[in-house]
Amino acid sequence: MRAVVVGAGFAGSLIAKVLGDNGFQVLVLEAGGETEHDEAVRRFQTALVKSPLAPYRTTVAAPSGDYLVNTGPFAYAAPYLRMNGGTGTVWTGITPRMHPEDFRTADLGRGRNWPIEYADLEPYYRAAEWEIGVSADADEQRQHVPVADGYAYPMHALPRTYLDHVVASVVDGRSIDGHELLVTGTPQARNGMPAGGYRLDGHLCSGHASCVPVCPENAKYTPRRTQQRWSRHVELRTRCVVNRVSADESGRVTKVGYQRYADDTTGRHTRHEAEADVVVLAAHAVENAKLLLMSGLANSSDQVGRNLMDHPALLTWALMPQPIGPFRGPGSTTSIEAFRAGPERRGRAPFRIEIGNWGWGWSAGSPDSDTAELVAAGLRGNALRKAVAERVGRQFTLQFEIEQEADPANRVTLADDRDALGNPRPSIHYGLSDYVKDGLLAAKRVSDRLFEMLKAEDYTSYKPDEERYFEHNGEPLRFWSAGHAGGTHVMGTRPRTSVVDQWQRCWDHPNLYAVGCGSMPSMGTSNPSLTMAALALRTADHLVSRAR
Amino acid sequence: MDTFVELSAELTGFSAEELRSTGLVEQYAELARNATDAELIQLWYTGVWRGVVPSSRAYAEGLAWKAVGVPAPGTAGPGFGSWERRPGRSTP
Repeated sequence: MRAVVVGAGFAGSLIAKVLGDNGFQVLVLEAGGETEHDEAVRRFQTALVKSPLAPYRTTVAAPSGDYLVNTGPFAYAAPYLRMNGGTGTVWTGITPRMHPEDFRTADLGRGRNWPIEYADLEPYYRAAEWEIGVSADADEQRQHVPVADGYAYPMHALPRTYLDHVVASVVDGRSIDGHELLVTGTPQARNGMPAGGYRLDGHLCSGHASCVPVCPENAKYTPRRTQQRWSRHVELRTRCVVNRVSADESGRVTKVGYQRYADDTTGRHTRHEAEADVVVLAAHAVENAKLLLMSGLANSSDQVGRNLMDHPALLTWALMPQPIGPFRGPGSTTSIEAFRAGPERRGRAPFRIEIGNWGWGWSAGSPDSDTAELVAAGLRGNALRKAVAERVGRQFTLQFEIEQEADPANRVTLADDRDALGNPRPSIHYGLSDYVKDGLLAAKRVSDRLFEMLKAEDYTSYKPDEERYFEHNGEPLRFWSAGHAGGTHVMGTRPRTSVVDQWQRCWDHPNLYAVGCGSMPSMGTSNPSLTMAALALRTADHLVSRAR
Repeated sequence: MDTFVELSAELTGFSAEELRSTGLVEQYAELARNATDAELIQLWYTGVWRGVVPSSRAYAEGLAWKAVGVPAPGTAGPGFGSWERRPGRSTP
C-alpha cells in the first residue's frame, strides 16, 4: 500500500509511524522547511517579542498562520507553523484528556456530539500518552476523568510549582457557586521521573521556563521525536506544498499534486505528482480545509471549512501577598477542573482554569513592561532593583480556557488573494457567540472570587483599544487565543451533516482521510493535542486493519 | 570605561562588579554612547537597545531577571523540581 501523508506535524508524524511499521510505503509531504534546534533557541533569545513563531524559519512559499485574510468580527488569532514538526514544535505540552461530557456537547450544552464516546477513545489516550511521553498521576486524574484500572502514566507527575502549593493551601476544599475547588496536577508531555518501564527520551525537564515556543533541552515532546522512530518505509520530503488532491469518477483518490521549492525566499517552484492508494491530510485544521476546498473534494455536506473553533482564553492577573517565584519551571503545572462539566454548560460555555506560573508574561509583557513603568515613574538604582523584584516576584496569572461550540458560521473559505505559489490564502470569518461570551463573563466572576480568597491584588484590565476587546452585558472583556484551531472537517454520524466519519475518513472518498483537530465536533475545555494524537492512533489502527 | 560602569551602577542598582560579570560592559558602552538614562537602564534590564536585542547574551544577562532571582527563560534550567521550592530573596 502506498500512503501519502500531507503534513509532518503531530497527527501526520504519528500516523506515518504506525503505517510505516505495518508495511505501508509512506511518503510524507511537508510544506515548510526546517529550523535547526540550536538556531531556534538563538532566534528565541534575540527576538524582541518572544511570540510563538519567533524562533522558527518560515518560507515565502509556505507562509504560516500569519497569512490569513480575516473578515471579522474578530481576527482569528490562533497561530500555526508550517515547518517540519508543525505547530507541535511550538506547543505548550499540556495534555489533559477531554471530559466524558465533552463528547456529548449537543445534548448537554451547545454545538455537536461526537460519533464516539470517551470509552471508545480511552485505550488510545493511553497509547498516545505512552507514545508522546506524559507525566501524570493516574489516581489524581481519576478525580475528574475516568482512567483505566491499573494504568500507570509513563512518567510520574511533575513536581508542582511553589505558586500551586500556595494557591492549593488557600482554595482546596472551598467552594464557588457550589463547585468544590481542588488544585489538580495537569498532565504534561515533559520529561519527569519514568515509571512502569518507560525509557526517557531526551533530558529531564530542568525548568528553562520557555516551553512555548522552544524547550532548549528537548524535554518537551515534539513530533520530531516520533519521526526519529520512523522505520525506513517512511520518506519525508520537506518544502513540498500539496495544492491538489485528485479523485476518479468513483470518488477514489488517485494522486496528489504538489509544488516543490528550494529557495526559501521566493515562490519559485517545480510541479510534481505522487500516486497513492490512500491519502491522509494532516496539514492543520485551516490548511486541511483549504486543500479540500481547492481540490473540490469531500464537501457534499457543505461543512468543509465550517465549525471553526479555538479556545478563547480569558487572562486575569494579580499580585500574591508574598513572593512566589514566577518564571521557574513549566508555564503551568496545575489547574482547577471544577467548572469543566455540569448543568451550567446548558446556559454558558464551561471552562478550565490553568494556574499560570510565568508572571504576567503573556498578559502584560512582564518583566519588560514593569521595568519600563517603574523607570518612567522615576525609579533609579537600588529603589528600581527592589521595585522590580517586589513587583515581578509576586506575579501570577489565571488562564481560563473557554469552550467554543461548533458554529457553522465560523468558517474558512478561499480568499481571492493568492500566496507566492499562486494558491488562495485562507479567508476566515470568526466570532464569539453569546454562549461563549457568557462563559467568559462567568470565568471573570470566578476569577474575582479566587483573587478575593487568595488576598491577591487584582491588576487585570481590559481596554477598548486592545485587540479582541469587547463588552458583554455592560462589562469590559477581552480574550486571547489559545492557538487551538479545530472543527473544519467535522466528524459525525451522517454524510449529509459531517465531513468525516468516526475514523476520520471522508464520507465522499473511501481512501481519503482528513485528520487532526479539524475532525473534532467539540474541543471541550482541554488543550486538544493529546486528543488529536489519540484520534490519529485510532485512525492508524483502522488503516492497518483495513489493509490486511 | 570606569565612568560608564559607575553611571550604570548608579542607575541600575547593581554593583560595578555585578555589571562587569555580565561581559557586556564594552558592548553596551559602545552602543549607548548617546543614551538617555532611561534608555541605558532599559538596555541593562531587558537587553533591548532601541527595539533590537543585540545578542543572546544581552537577553540572558537582563538585570530584570537577576532582580527577580531567576535565569532569563530559555537560557538556563535551575534543575528538575526546583520550581517547587520557596523562592529565595535576591535583592541586596
